[in-house]
Amino acid sequence: MELSEEIIRKAQQGDANAFSDVLDSSYELIFSVAMKYVMNRQDAEDVTQQVCIKLARSIAQYRFDSSFSTWLYRVVVNCANDWHRKEGRHHQSDNDVAQNPVSHNSDVAEQQLYLKQVLEQINTWGKGYLDAVVLVIGEGLTHQAAARVLDVTESTVSWRIHEVRKRLHLLESGGQKA
Amino acid sequence: MKEQDLKKLFEQAGKASASDEARMRAKHAAMQAFENAQEEQKTSEDAQGNRSGNRPISENNNLIGRIMMHLSNRWLMGGFATAGLIGLVFVTTWQARQTQVDAPLVASRFDQETNVGIQPVEELAKPKAPQEVARVHKERELAVAESEALERRDFAIASKKQRIAAPQMTGIANDAFNVIERDDRFQQFDENRVKSVSDEPFSTFSIDVDTSSYSYVRKMLNRGNLPADDAVRTEEMINYFDYNYPVTGDREEPFLASVGISDAPWKQGNKLVHIGIKAFEAPAEKQPDSNLVFLLDISGSMSAEDKLPLVKKSLHLLLGQLKPTDTVSIVTYAGGTGVVLEATPVAEKQKIVAALETLAAGGSTAGESAIQLAYNLAEAGFKKDAVNRIILATDGDFNVGISDPDKLKELVEKKRESGVFLSVLGFGDGNYRDDIMQSLAQNGNGVAAYIDTFSEAYKVLVEEASSSLFTVAKDVKIQVEFNPATVSEYRLIGYETRALNREDFKNDKVDAGDVGSGHTVTAIYEITPVGSNSGLLDAPHYDANRRTHKPQAYSDEYGQLKIRYKQPESNTSLLISKPLMAGQEMSDSLAREFNFATAVAGFAQILKGRSYVDWDYKDVIEMAKKNLGEDPYGYRSELVGLARKAAIIELEESNE
Repeated sequence: MELSEEIIRKAQQGDANAFSDVLDSSYELIFSVAMKYVMNRQDAEDVTQQVCIKLARSIAQYRFDSSFSTWLYRVVVNCANDWHRKEGRHHQSDNDVAQNPVSHNSDVAEQQLYLKQVLEQINTWGKGYLDAVVLVIGEGLTHQAAARVLDVTESTVSWRIHEVRKRLHLLESGGQKA
Repeated sequence: MKEQDLKKLFEQAGKASASDEARMRAKHAAMQAFENAQEEQKTSEDAQGNRSGNRPISENNNLIGRIMMHLSNRWLMGGFATAGLIGLVFVTTWQARQTQVDAPLVASRFDQETNVGIQPVEELAKPKAPQEVARVHKERELAVAESEALERRDFAIASKKQRIAAPQMTGIANDAFNVIERDDRFQQFDENRVKSVSDEPFSTFSIDVDTSSYSYVRKMLNRGNLPADDAVRTEEMINYFDYNYPVTGDREEPFLASVGISDAPWKQGNKLVHIGIKAFEAPAEKQPDSNLVFLLDISGSMSAEDKLPLVKKSLHLLLGQLKPTDTVSIVTYAGGTGVVLEATPVAEKQKIVAALETLAAGGSTAGESAIQLAYNLAEAGFKKDAVNRIILATDGDFNVGISDPDKLKELVEKKRESGVFLSVLGFGDGNYRDDIMQSLAQNGNGVAAYIDTFSEAYKVLVEEASSSLFTVAKDVKIQVEFNPATVSEYRLIGYETRALNREDFKNDKVDAGDVGSGHTVTAIYEITPVGSNSGLLDAPHYDANRRTHKPQAYSDEYGQLKIRYKQPESNTSLLISKPLMAGQEMSDSLAREFNFATAVAGFAQILKGRSYVDWDYKDVIEMAKKNLGEDPYGYRSELVGLARKAAIIELEESNE
């Protein structure tokens, strides 16, 4: 994403063309993160639209105290979490979906469905786990960068990731019913 | 399930792209929202006429960046998760009654002067506007959602614990378990109202050195929520910070009170009266010996990373603050009661550390009176002229062997008389009865602190070790008598839950807050000088209600400050008094400290709904930034960051 400070400042001062540029150069990133959160194109499109609207309202609040992409990630994370709060409740699954091994031959849609189930399960563990997984494993951010996005300490991110690894591994080995 | 698989699946998901139609739709909606936002911005500028189009974003960018970096390095940003500790003291029905009586009188003034553009007082007096109710509701929902998740996560552990502990869990312990992971509780209170000096010249309250409200507010803001009104206790926000007030050199006087007068930044015509107390700081070599007993909760729920492991780290820190001759004992409960370590001198630190390391959460039997055991140990190792203190560390399980809360309180009180004090350290999140913790600590002459991270442990146990451990004055009460010839109205900012009756001041049987070595306590009054039209109270209609005060002697005094306190071993109070001079001179450094406290007070009042202040977050930021002082640990800078967050959250909520 190439966005000059000048364009952002112009957008902050109310320049519609500049804001349009901001949208164009941010859309792909927003959509791809949203997709990782919700695992469904249509839902991701909805989340992305929410993020765009939020950007319009709050771009003036960006203070250049972090990189723009960090700030953008933060907005996406918030919107995706809102979406999960509204929509995601009834999807909770008590089955250990992660126990089923991934078949690399199954078609893409099936794999997406599978990933969706895993993520939904992670989301039931509490606030912040899904965020950490999407940002660190999905987006490949460092723990430090993810921590900046989520406004938590680096060690919190590390701990969440560690916890996710531990539990997914646990589920895989089937030893969870002690 | 392997991480590689997860990564691959994510990659696939990332390859998907949005339909052109959706993209157009989103862009259209966003551009629309952008225009609306510009429109609103313009309208509000026109209405307020004081906001420049260029927001203060360009200046100090680098500075902000540096501060942010500094803060995140210091773990100060974000990671704090703190539940509030609530002081359930001095609930005054008296105050509520007074408010009702005065309200119509105040409102009548605005009937006549509706053009001032201030909300009618009746509306201000309502505890919560609908919008705010929604806000609180939302916050509650979020908290419930989170605790539900926690509950699921800890289900296995909790149910196991319940099975084991259920037979003994009656009364206090049972309660504690039931509210666990449900919600954080706050005492409700109304903000102090404006009082007429003619009617009530005396203002009396107990000092408060607790700080937990600040940690709680910080947690909420870092999560992206504005805190509920009742969660914001202004005096605890102010007293979270250490102020560099002049210090007494004389051991006989345990503290020095500094006073200052400044203009009220949020209301033209009003003044602020600052009272800053700095307690005598016992030099390290003169600190009394300590005989400490750690009473540690090792129930299954303590196994989380931010609980027992943090307790151990915290106690390591505390050990570093003790002298080699001090002794430490360890008693555990809730996962097996027992003496883990008999009184051991700190010189044998390795032995203490080893004992700490063997502790593991989750055990089998609960039973014997752990608290009794702890007191036995403290009494066995009792040192005269020393600090004899039990330090209870828990996440809310008070199954210490005595289940009746009143009996527990009684025991703590009785032991306090014998010289063994009790402090409580809270760990974990939303998981405990802070009202019980607070009441135990208060009855035990101790401090209740909430520790959520290593850096908070550092603040409480290292920086504030001496003030948490060594009481230099107890039952400290403040009374201000205002001079009706010079002051027409006053309002005490904060201390609502600490209000005392006028007659309690001299009554040595009435308990009040304690001050530890090096503690600072700050109180701020907002006053309307006689002759200023910035007051809220209307002049009486009937002559009989008018009291004219001839300006004669003392016409240069706003009032008289009186402080009563007891020496730690004494039961008779001593009095300090000094006048509050209208033209009080202040050194630059004292003015800076008072100004920073003012910024915090303004911040708290904005969070509480701006009933009395015409101020905004940007004013908080500006004032705080100008008065950071040395700020060696970055705590003051953190406040600036929090005010910024609050501004953003409020803006976002008003857009929703």
